[in-house]
Amino acid sequence: MTGVVELDGIRVTYGDVTAVEELSLSVRDGELFCLLGPSGCGKTTTLRAVAGFESPAAGRVVLGGRDVTGLAPYDRGCATVFQDWALFPNKTVAENVAFGLKMAGVPAERRRERAREQLATVEMTDHADDPPGELSGGQKQRVALARSLAVDPEVLLLDEPLSNLDKRLRETMQLEIKEIQERLETPMLYVTHDQEEAFTLADRIGIMNDGELVQVGAPRTVYDDPVDRFVEAFLGSTNFLSGRVVAGTGADTGVGPDAVAVEFPVAGLRTPVPAGDDLAVGDDVTASVRPEVVDLAPAVDGAAASTDGGAASEPDATGHADGRAILAGTVSEVVYRGSNVRHHVAVGDGAELFVERPVTDAPGLAAGDAARLSWDVTDAYHFGPDGARVRP
Amino acid sequence: MSESGPRTDGGTETGTGTGAAPAPTGRRLGGAAVGRWLFRAGVGVVFAFLLAPIAVVVATSFAETGSLTFPPKGLSLRWYGEFLGSSRWRRAALNSLVAAGGTTVLATVAGTTAALGVSDLGGSREAAVLGLAVLPLLVPGVVLGSSLLVFLGEFDLQQTYMAVVAAHSLWATPLAFSVVRAALSRFDPRLREAALDLGASPFRAFFEVVAPNIRSGLFAAALIAFVVSLQEFIMTLFVSGPDTRTVPVLAWNSLRGSLDPLVSVVSTLLVAAVVVAVAVGAAVAGLERLATDT
Repeated sequence: MTGVVELDGIRVTYGDVTAVEELSLSVRDGELFCLLGPSGCGKTTTLRAVAGFESPAAGRVVLGGRDVTGLAPYDRGCATVFQDWALFPNKTVAENVAFGLKMAGVPAERRRERAREQLATVEMTDHADDPPGELSGGQKQRVALARSLAVDPEVLLLDEPLSNLDKRLRETMQLEIKEIQERLETPMLYVTHDQEEAFTLADRIGIMNDGELVQVGAPRTVYDDPVDRFVEAFLGSTNFLSGRVVAGTGADTGVGPDAVAVEFPVAGLRTPVPAGDDLAVGDDVTASVRPEVVDLAPAVDGAAASTDGGAASEPDATGHADGRAILAGTVSEVVYRGSNVRHHVAVGDGAELFVERPVTDAPGLAAGDAARLSWDVTDAYHFGPDGARVRP
Repeated sequence: MSESGPRTDGGTETGTGTGAAPAPTGRRLGGAAVGRWLFRAGVGVVFAFLLAPIAVVVATSFAETGSLTFPPKGLSLRWYGEFLGSSRWRRAALNSLVAAGGTTVLATVAGTTAALGVSDLGGSREAAVLGLAVLPLLVPGVVLGSSLLVFLGEFDLQQTYMAVVAAHSLWATPLAFSVVRAALSRFDPRLREAALDLGASPFRAFFEVVAPNIRSGLFAAALIAFVVSLQEFIMTLFVSGPDTRTVPVLAWNSLRGSLDPLVSVVSTLLVAAVVVAVAVGAAVAGLERLATDT
């Protein structure tokens, strides 16, 4: 099945700089697809190539089965909601919404009717005759949405439409956009740098880095199964530990013939990583230990009691016990963040891990307290020298 | 309006001070005051120097006698009557208006399209076009006038309105171009993209969205073109003929014959026309600001 938007190997360059490299993606009918990435990754350029404001040096842009690669923006069947909304200051709210229809030659009476309907869907009917300059950010956002939807686009393109709103309003608007999208089933290509926004809105997420699409998938899939170190780092804050392969497959690592032993000097750990043939002795490996999988407990006279009652036994020479990595440290800072508490724990050599706990389940540690960290080794993600995920 | 210096030495001025500022010493106050008055006097001298000739011209235009002397002997509107009664002068005034009107349209349209085009170029090509665009302003009018005469002669266009408008536009267009460019630099290009995105052709996008949002710039460009044309003399001297000569050219011609107060009348009217144009422009721009700042 082909999508409403098909990008087929597009490349966009500015002079010598390549902003988007060989990018292919497909937005399916009725879905909200989020392009997510840090600023400068080429996501907005990709969106502008779909809208027709950038002409790709290579590749094809297909909208609704029609090749629009060489067409001007006004000959494509899409509509854009811009980051700063770009409402026409010389026109009233209703005239803004009716603009696309006016350009399409719809008679004035019919346009007014349609603009009313569109404003009603975003609950802005009362402001129909106001100049857009008098509206609040959230209201402008609604008008911009109504203006783009009024032309009944094949796909709606949204370029960080909520980034100029405060957090609370942003969350409200996310739900409104989601609700409108589900009601109208207009396919949307939504660009954002905010992973929470992408997770809230998207049916599927495409993560971009450096002009390339790194991973595409449902939010849950992407979060649970990052393909590389970049995705893992971008999707949320995590603890990265640097290590090196010290023994290859076949050596006695304790977890079977397919694992290699990776030593993490900072943590004093020597962890078996099921890697097949992906890693060789001497390779650099990065482990990601997410703050929510780490168990934190006060250190008790060398031995320790864990808050979840398990894994209280003494670690062996490799720093493990019962399949959990165990680490001693000193709490350096405790930060209350509203619903959760973040503990920064120094683990020697100037390295620091952070652990998050719900306020209701905080271990009651203060700065300076000795602590014991542990996590199930299968909860950690490992990445090879090229940043690619090492899969079991 | 009261002149207010920096807070520290303006402390003695009435009423506006907020709370207890330390009283400035008499000497410091005195020194600052003297400096301020010297500065004002200097500015006054410069303005007097600039405005005096205009004052003399205006005064002599109301002379009763036939000689151009200052101060004028007796006051009358005699020479204004002479002006209105002279078909040569009426023709010249009409020619000036035709040339100014044509120049306004040509220079504003050319300057605006150029400004729009250049904004899409970017980089070194933009810099090159900018340099080329202002070049006519740097070439002496005599050079432009004589080369235009030769050039237009090739097409039998010398002494026509078209020749005069072309000459004036050589100076008016770069100025209009710069003014529109300045206006465009404050215009959000996303607005134009939004119009295109919603199905507007570039032409419609300009009239629906771009022009309304830079209209004070367009108006200023047109006004400048009008005034440039009205007062241009050197090039017009070369390219105009008896049927197309403008007020400044006829003034120069009659000055060579005799020095009578009619020339002062013409000059006064020219100055008045410019003042009115600028006043209208300022009023419109002011209203514009009033309308958009609400």
